[in-house]
Amino acid sequence: MTESSLGLEILQEVTRIANSTLDLDETLEKIIPVIKNKMHMDACAIYLINESDRLLHLKASMGLPDKAMHINLGIGQGVTGWVAQQGRSLALSEAMQDPRFVYFPEIEEEKFSSMLSVPILANCPPLGVINVHSIEKRVFSPEEISVLETIAGQVTGCLRNAIQFHRNQMTLKETRILYDISLAVQSTLKLEHGLWIILSAITMGEAGGFNRAMLFTLNEKNQRLQGIMGLGPDSQEDAVRVWTELNKKKGDLLQWVIKEAQRDLHRDSPFHNFVCGLSYPVTANDNILSETVLQKKPFNITKAKEHQLVSQEFIDALGVDSFATVPLIAHEEVLGVILVDNRYDQKPITEENLRFLTRFTVYASWVIENSRLFSKLLDTNRELLSMKEQLVQAERLSALGEMAAEVAHEIKNPLVSIGGFARRLKDKMTHLSQKWEDNNDLKSAANYSEIISSEVDRLERLLKNTLIYSKSGTLETEECQLNKLIEEVLYLFKSGLYEKNIHLVTDLQTDLPLLKLDQQKIKQVLINLFYNALESLSLGGLLKVETFQEEYAQKQKMITVRVEDTGGGIPQQVFENIFNPFFTTKHTGTGLGLSICRKIIENHGGTIRVENQLGKGVIVYLHLPLQNSPDYIKN
Amino acid sequence: MKTILVVDDEQNIRFLYKEELEDAGYKVSVAATGEEAFKKLKKQVPDLIILDIKMPGMDGIEVMRKIKDEKGDIPIILCSAYGQYKQDFRVWASDAYVVKSADLRELKLTIKEIFNQLKAG
Repeated sequence: MTESSLGLEILQEVTRIANSTLDLDETLEKIIPVIKNKMHMDACAIYLINESDRLLHLKASMGLPDKAMHINLGIGQGVTGWVAQQGRSLALSEAMQDPRFVYFPEIEEEKFSSMLSVPILANCPPLGVINVHSIEKRVFSPEEISVLETIAGQVTGCLRNAIQFHRNQMTLKETRILYDISLAVQSTLKLEHGLWIILSAITMGEAGGFNRAMLFTLNEKNQRLQGIMGLGPDSQEDAVRVWTELNKKKGDLLQWVIKEAQRDLHRDSPFHNFVCGLSYPVTANDNILSETVLQKKPFNITKAKEHQLVSQEFIDALGVDSFATVPLIAHEEVLGVILVDNRYDQKPITEENLRFLTRFTVYASWVIENSRLFSKLLDTNRELLSMKEQLVQAERLSALGEMAAEVAHEIKNPLVSIGGFARRLKDKMTHLSQKWEDNNDLKSAANYSEIISSEVDRLERLLKNTLIYSKSGTLETEECQLNKLIEEVLYLFKSGLYEKNIHLVTDLQTDLPLLKLDQQKIKQVLINLFYNALESLSLGGLLKVETFQEEYAQKQKMITVRVEDTGGGIPQQVFENIFNPFFTTKHTGTGLGLSICRKIIENHGGTIRVENQLGKGVIVYLHLPLQNSPDYIKN
Repeated sequence: MKTILVVDDEQNIRFLYKEELEDAGYKVSVAATGEEAFKKLKKQVPDLIILDIKMPGMDGIEVMRKIKDEKGDIPIILCSAYGQYKQDFRVWASDAYVVKSADLRELKLTIKEIFNQLKAG
């Protein structure tokens, strides 16, 4: 067989292997014996340059001792290193005589005489080196050199494919992790759990891979960044333990993260507590965290000691010289900062790491924003519930009072007549008995009517006291802005209005004077009115709320709240009874709603008026007086 | 002689007020409703009006508002069975507010004060 046909055969074989699999290690393992055997060599070795340590690692070999597998050569070191450095082939018939030769006992090169070393070139710098060795001293022919160089070219292609494949795999993995994490985040509404999941993702080997992550949130009130969570090992020993554990959990990351988040164990970690003790002001040119917030961009700090915005104190606290910070942004608003470092393995933070982290912080921002919205919703719900409870409670309490008041009212008028005439009777009798002094019957009759009138007095006093008692509680008034109160209550109805497709129009007079009101009670009234309006607007429509100042009979200044709906109005028979206690059209409730509203408004010295426009809607007016009651009023 | 119009839906109360106030030296006419009161006002304007607040139909406060609007400044005393209107700002437009009682001394005293003030003014 001629040398050139041998070359062709080897190349064909190598190409077939290279195309059969995407796994680089497998390709190299299969290529090695082809080269060694077909070229009739005694050993063959392929070295590739490792991207992170820039050393030549022996990836595959044949004919070399097993211990050689662990060898890493520096670029420029020995013959292989020289080839890698120069990017040129080198054929030596007496290798050990060459000045570039360095003896490595692991390779046991003393048994080989000649060697051929060709670079694996993609472009400069080379990716690796292929070596063949022969025990017998020989001279390599130009054909042999060219065959090996062509094979090296083929390996380059494989490497490219493999690198591409690896990148795709990484992207795929990253996407999967992002997906898993977003699912995990969605599984919890607790802010703390959500954040823990995010920080876990950042520090997990598979995902972010940072050694430690710290989360700071921006407190808008005092403009400070407060540490709220830290995740990472507490020491070098701890780091090793955690990472070993994590490796075991590769199987079902998602389930593990969710379960772990709910255990709340992270709160006991010293590192977490250390982070919770950190707090920095948000001031320009003050510290790196605040700068991250203000500039809304990530920072990759590699030489912290030389950085202007990193204090020695900060470096000492973290115990690292390089770290990265990323802002958390939602709706263009900065919510906080995440800081990561690699304290335990000292790996530099690459741009790719940072990109990954930035992508993750989007989730963290979501989590914070979601939880903020959710807790706001909870607050609103809670307030509504407590309002409703208060309403029901007030309704129950005043049910009794209302009844007493009704009865008392009906009794008062006859009592006035009885007592009034008894007094007149007594006067007449007294007058008569003066005329007929010896008429004892007249004297007794005068005495009887005296008894009637004094007993009526007693009843009147009793009724007066009863009615004072039955008044629906005392007011706790303080000066406040009515408009603000209205807006607060309307805020509670926001989602209800939206759901029912009700258009809200507010026209609140801006310069209203302060009113002395019992805010809780007035809120009850407003809630009641809006509830009624919302119920009538089940098919959508318009709710209009206005406030304005006006005068009553050109004498009394008052503020009016006008609530108008387009709910079609109230049937006449119902309308006549709206202020009657115990009248209701609803299955739940006591029917005291509006009658209590009236009582509350009347206790404020105001009035409530309802205009019913059948087929159109209802307008409710609340008139509230501006002045306090004058003192001329007789009791 | 000063004239007083008593407006109250309770017949016995009207009767009681009429007797008492006539004894006190006033000329008294009565009306059972706001509408009736306006009819009487058309014929003769009294020196003072006593108005019950809680009446079926037009209530005392409405009647007062209308009188103030149409007839100008006739002194008006508002009455109710209880003091519940004390805080109601609309009552403040009256000249006085008296809580009904079997003991009419306070009402009579209030009437006297109003007439004295008018005389002084």
